[in-house]
Amino acid sequence: MNNHLSEQGVFMYLIGDISLEERQHAGECASCQAKIANLATPLTQFRGAVRNWSDRASVKDRAAELRWTVIASSDHLERLLLPVSLDIPWYRSLWSSINESLKPQIPLMDLTSKPVLVQDIWGQYGRQKKSWVMSLALQSAVVVLLFAAASTKTVQQKVAHFIPLLDPNLAAYEPKQPPAKNTMAGGGGGGDRSPLPASKGRLPKSALRQFTPPTAVAINLDPKLTMEPAIIAPPDARLPEVNIAQYGDPLAKLGVASNGPGSGGGIGSGIGGGVGSGKGAGFGPGEGGGIGGGVFRAGGGVTAPSLVYKVEPEYSEEARKAKYQGTVVLYVEVEPSGRAQNMRVIQSLGLGLDEKAIEAVRKWKFRPGYKNGKPVTVVATVEVSFRLL
Amino acid sequence: MERGRSSGLASLTGESRTEMLEEFDSLVRLHRPRVFRFILASLRNRETAENLTQDCFVKAYQARERFRGASSAATWFMQIAANLVRDHESSSRLKFWRRMLHPAADVADIGSSIPDRQQSPEMLALVQEQVQAIWAAAAILPARQRTVFLLRFVEDMDLLEIAEVTGMKEGTVKTHLFRALQSVRARLEETK
Repeated sequence: MNNHLSEQGVFMYLIGDISLEERQHAGECASCQAKIANLATPLTQFRGAVRNWSDRASVKDRAAELRWTVIASSDHLERLLLPVSLDIPWYRSLWSSINESLKPQIPLMDLTSKPVLVQDIWGQYGRQKKSWVMSLALQSAVVVLLFAAASTKTVQQKVAHFIPLLDPNLAAYEPKQPPAKNTMAGGGGGGDRSPLPASKGRLPKSALRQFTPPTAVAINLDPKLTMEPAIIAPPDARLPEVNIAQYGDPLAKLGVASNGPGSGGGIGSGIGGGVGSGKGAGFGPGEGGGIGGGVFRAGGGVTAPSLVYKVEPEYSEEARKAKYQGTVVLYVEVEPSGRAQNMRVIQSLGLGLDEKAIEAVRKWKFRPGYKNGKPVTVVATVEVSFRLL
Repeated sequence: MERGRSSGLASLTGESRTEMLEEFDSLVRLHRPRVFRFILASLRNRETAENLTQDCFVKAYQARERFRGASSAATWFMQIAANLVRDHESSSRLKFWRRMLHPAADVADIGSSIPDRQQSPEMLALVQEQVQAIWAAAAILPARQRTVFLLRFVEDMDLLEIAEVTGMKEGTVKTHLFRALQSVRARLEETK
């Protein structure tokens, strides 16, 4: 359907002479609407402008009409339409001035109240010379005072005075921590209850977490998930190294590959997943991982410590009064130096006698226990008897 | 609204004079703005427009007996107004003085009377330009074309009403309108 409105058609549409079909088309076709709007919009604006203009003109007209007519007080619209400036014609002002001059003068009102002079509190004061001079004088006085104060001898001396700064040495007051232990404790052991002693071999890598214990004899040759065996030891621990591909106890003798008579996986005679004779996942005769050894117990190649020098314990005041007797049993670890350490009360007596016993045993001197010709720390129990004579 | 007041004149022939005067007064109040607007837009002079509006209603009052009620009162008043405008323009004696006193149309005045103020300054400027172009185009239109143009596009009359007001045939009105639109559009396109 190609019956777009021609230029003439647009004109006819605007004039209002148009067929029904064309009108329908104009209602639907966007391009024709645009064509019409192109001309119709300015015309609409023009109509609005003309109407506005004429309205304003007639309003002016109306205002001129109303100038000297009485407007009812309720007629707000007409009041609104009044011109802003109502200039009075000369004859009116002349008449009113004549009228005023002819009329008798109104006597002055008798004032009963008098205005009181109130202090002016708000207003523009402008620049007052007096205050300006005052301000200047005050400020210069302050400056002069400062200079005068600074130039006195006392002040200058004080300023020049040298205060030495001291370096406070607080070393004496700083808390002292006991030095960290140089020796390593701990150990581990394991085995699979094999009748043969553990065989010689290298240690697995040390880690802080053990996923799988080392074995000298692999039981599962085809594991589903391969995991490198490890023992629990600090990463900087010095482990004995043996140049053997097989895992094993580096301190054992060469022999048929065996995990050792221990239990709980690992290699050796101990318990747990480690290597050696101890307990846990570490290496060595100690307990709970790591490397090294803990305390020894007498027997099995370890000689028992023997007493060399003894101090009789004192009686406590309370025990003496109560005539208290008995024996305190203490757990002690005899160090290679011959002194007893890490004392614990196994059997207590009370009344302050336990403390007295520990005090006494601390002064005792032992001959340490030996293992392989070397003094080692050996566990011992000490009985301290308290007898009243 | 204005067009719908055709019943007013029918009772103009009432017996009581005061009643009739009141009736006529209300008619004048109703139609005055429209007549004034048409004359003002045609002649572009407020004083002349006021005078002619006054004349229009005086003539209508004098000729009230001859009003047959064939058309609406609005059309009748507009008819008188159109005749007055034509007479005024054709009087060559006045023409000279008018030109002397009011050489140019109040273009600035019409430009500042654009109704819708709630648009952007650019749009407003554009519309102002367009309105002024139409206003200028209307000023130089021949008298008949302008009358027809104003009646159609300012007073929103349809062709038959315009024919009645101007006393022309409908076809003639159409032709005049067409020509007027052509020149207005030519003027509009010049501004673009």
